[in-house]
Amino acid sequence: MSLRAMHSGTGHSPISALALLIVTLLYLGLMLSVAPEALARLLWFALYPIVMAPVAGEDYGHIFCRSLVVLPFVLLIGIFNPIYQTEPAFTVSGVIVSRGWVTFVSIVVRTLLSVQALLILVDSVGFVGLCQSLHRIGVPSVLTTQLMMVYRYMTVLLQESLDMTRARQARGYRGGSMSLSMWGSYCGQLFLRTVARSERVHRAMLARGFDGVIPVLKENKTWSGRDTAAVIVIASIFILFRWGPLPALFALG
Amino acid sequence: MHMSDALLSAPVAVAADIVAAGLLVAASLRIKKNASDSAVALMGVMGAFIFAAQMVNFSVPGTGSSGHIVGGVLLGALLGPWAGFLTLTSVLIIQCLIFADGGLMALGCNVLNMAAMTTLVAYPLVMRPLLHYPAVSWKVMAVSVLTCVVGLELGACMVTVETIASHITALPPARFFLLMTGIHLAIGVVEGLATGAVLLFVQRSRPELLQPSAIHRDTRHSVRGAVITFAVAAVVIAGGLAFLASEDPDGLEWSIERIAGTSELTAEHVGVLSQAAETTQQSTALMPDYEGSFAGIAGTVMVLILVWALSSLLIRSRRRQREGA
Repeated sequence: MSLRAMHSGTGHSPISALALLIVTLLYLGLMLSVAPEALARLLWFALYPIVMAPVAGEDYGHIFCRSLVVLPFVLLIGIFNPIYQTEPAFTVSGVIVSRGWVTFVSIVVRTLLSVQALLILVDSVGFVGLCQSLHRIGVPSVLTTQLMMVYRYMTVLLQESLDMTRARQARGYRGGSMSLSMWGSYCGQLFLRTVARSERVHRAMLARGFDGVIPVLKENKTWSGRDTAAVIVIASIFILFRWGPLPALFALG
Repeated sequence: MHMSDALLSAPVAVAADIVAAGLLVAASLRIKKNASDSAVALMGVMGAFIFAAQMVNFSVPGTGSSGHIVGGVLLGALLGPWAGFLTLTSVLIIQCLIFADGGLMALGCNVLNMAAMTTLVAYPLVMRPLLHYPAVSWKVMAVSVLTCVVGLELGACMVTVETIASHITALPPARFFLLMTGIHLAIGVVEGLATGAVLLFVQRSRPELLQPSAIHRDTRHSVRGAVITFAVAAVVIAGGLAFLASEDPDGLEWSIERIAGTSELTAEHVGVLSQAAETTQQSTALMPDYEGSFAGIAGTVMVLILVWALSSLLIRSRRRQREGA
């Protein structure tokens, strides 16, 4: 994803950022409430990213590949399930599949789906859109302003850090990790530069009439009837996935 | 230590989200009331500083491996507990939203485990009473290590409790606890050494930055605040878990019990209409016990593949139409 897309999103989302945030939270809440043993029911929730990704202007294959990055830690924790849950769950062509393997796959699916829903949200509305939504639903302005500030200065300070690394290398040091005392001086120096920069940033903010809230957060995006309808329809579908008889209807005999 | 959504049950995640939201509101109000305008800029840029500092690895003494800082205790020491808490929370939110590090529903747990335990508990209860600047080098290092170990171990305990309460993994609680606390003991020592190294540099170069300033005013009542906050947090989480573990009947069961005398329905309680509904359901469902069955899983996967194929076809045709136009 390009920096511009990360900043303001793909712009293809058919509903507002706030509506998509509500839908995503509903999705995560209901999807995570499915019991780990109910794998068929859980899989129904995969329809949301599969359908929503193209609607939001994203390729689902791309989203799926990006979601794989988070798997290692979850695999490490989940792999204990087949070891400790050995009672049989079902038989496939004479091979007994234990409950542990079902719950292990369930953990992997939950991980992938939750990350995919998050990626779709951030990709389609962008970080600024999300901060605006948080501001609109009453999240304290101190936090939303803080998020915007960290987001904006993250790349600036990374550049500052890269400059320091380049200067270190120009003085004959090789790359790689440094000793603890050298790292302390390095980060201490970076901290002093950060403080100096924050003083300049504060003066610049005051010069532009800063009153405690970054102006872009105040941009008012109206909530339309379309958003209400979309949230109701999508929430109903999620409720159907969670409690409806769909998995039974589509089970293969 | 970032927890993912997959390892948490919905009630545990929501309970932690509510507690974390309460702490964030408390921190925001305190900062708004006590901190100066310049603190907003400093906190913002300090969050970015933590990102930059995390990118630079250092050699872990005696192991041949390398590590990076997390920054909770460092932020507490440089900004004060509440401002440090808010700054580290903003870093965690950005890690979640932009780098998919930790889940959105698990954000509350991650805020409590990593930000609250280090900045609101370990720093005010361990580092602040023990360390007064200017201090000798060994004392700065020793207190930093102790504070980081306490903060990270508390976080590791929270992770264990949240994971076990969620009943998602089959890990035995005692082993998981030992695994988590063992790993985080080592991480805490390394984090403490790194935190101490930065504090020593700042003490040598700009000692005035470590003295109580406008932004540190928010720390005055932080110990009392932290204790009260965590008492409330404990009650809310315990309430959430008690709800999960409750052996009393839920609303539906209670109603049935009042009507039928027992919460377990037997054949004689079930009317003709209910029997007809059950028969219809049995006839439409190809596999009655579908949710954990192979047939149910396979059928659902087939449907998913079909929908994916259809949506891909639709996108391609839309792209062709755009290119044609």
